[in-house]
Amino acid sequence: MLPQNPSADIVAYASRAILDLKIQRDKLHQYQKRITILTNRETEIAKQMLAQGDKKRALLALRRKKYQESLLTKTDAQLEQLEKLTSSVEFALIQKDVVFGLQQGTKVLQEIHQEMGGIEHVEKLMGDTADAIAYQKEVSDMLGNRITADDEDEVEAELAALEAQASGVSVPDNLPNVPNTNLPVQVPEREQQQGASKQPERQAMLAS
Amino acid sequence: MASDSRTGADTASSAAPSTFQWPREYSFPPFFTIQPNKTTRHTQFVKWSALVQSYCAHHRIFKLRVSAAAPASLPGLPNPTGAGGTSEAATTVAAAAANADGGAGDNIAEPAVELFANRRVKRRLFPDDAREVVDYMHRHGAAEWIDETGGGQKDLAWIWWHTPEQWAAMIEDWVDDTAQKGAVLTLYEIAEGEGTRGTELHDLDRDVLHRALKILVNRGKAQIFGSGDSQGVKFF
Repeated sequence: MLPQNPSADIVAYASRAILDLKIQRDKLHQYQKRITILTNRETEIAKQMLAQGDKKRALLALRRKKYQESLLTKTDAQLEQLEKLTSSVEFALIQKDVVFGLQQGTKVLQEIHQEMGGIEHVEKLMGDTADAIAYQKEVSDMLGNRITADDEDEVEAELAALEAQASGVSVPDNLPNVPNTNLPVQVPEREQQQGASKQPERQAMLAS
Repeated sequence: MASDSRTGADTASSAAPSTFQWPREYSFPPFFTIQPNKTTRHTQFVKWSALVQSYCAHHRIFKLRVSAAAPASLPGLPNPTGAGGTSEAATTVAAAAANADGGAGDNIAEPAVELFANRRVKRRLFPDDAREVVDYMHRHGAAEWIDETGGGQKDLAWIWWHTPEQWAAMIEDWVDDTAQKGAVLTLYEIAEGEGTRGTELHDLDRDVLHRALKILVNRGKAQIFGSGDSQGVKFF
């Protein structure tokens, strides 16, 4: 990486170089303007000379115009070279900035890596993280089983309610209270018949 | 445009070939006579200020020489009391006319004789009155005397149809719009280059450009380097 001051000096030096190139370019532009003006004037002079019947002087003016146009062509080529060189210098400055940016980015990245503690530290950290995640999962599973059992009852109750709603059964609001007394014991038919036959015997004994 | 009111003046176009639209008051003969009533005179000065600014903007006149724009004597028009048709005045008028016809020379008062003189209504603003108008503009920030410190009669003035601060803002905007921050630019390419063709910056007076750039330098937006005619500027 270049030191800051030499870099600044390079930028200043390059800026001055670009300025000098552009000033030369401007001078060529101005020269071209003058040539163009002179060329136009020579054309006008030639027209005037022809109007006055002086063909020789008209021809002379056109020759001067031709020469000036050749100068214009030469300056065009020189101007192109100057502009190419200026663009090259400017692009080189941009490239320099890009390289500097890359250097800075790399340096920052390396510093970040150092702060991270290196690959061994990262591996250990990843292992610890995995262990912690596994432990958390085990705890979650244990808690989830009990909670799941409780939730299952609620879910089944809710399902029953939904099924009742889906079947269209409407429950009236004023239902009677559920009786609290015990249900009467129901005797099977066989025992009931045996009970009935015992009653006449008792009546016969009483009659005797 | 400067902060002065431009009531009654048409908006000046930066396109030179178009015809300048004279305001209505230009055809009103009393407009060329400084009014005795204070309120009326103030309104008159406001309108003259707007007219001068829009006229100079239209013709891209940055500096106005009062003695050339309002010569002491004009043939066919009223002259101040005691003013005669001297050869010097005639020469000045001829020079102004030559400039108006596209003669060589800088843009100081090139076509500006018509600014203070309306031949159609046979009225003109006398030199002292024209100077008073420019002085009013100077007091209100629309003009600035160049030769004020000379001790003599004030004659040459900057006409701020754009103030240096406004020019500075335009330059900064142009640099932003053309993505040239950090680039090295010559003063020539800003004022006369192809990059500014079609903008108001093209053909900007070099001295005005310098003043605008100094404003940007003071704000930390630009840096001027080089010396003499080899100066360049870098924008940040």
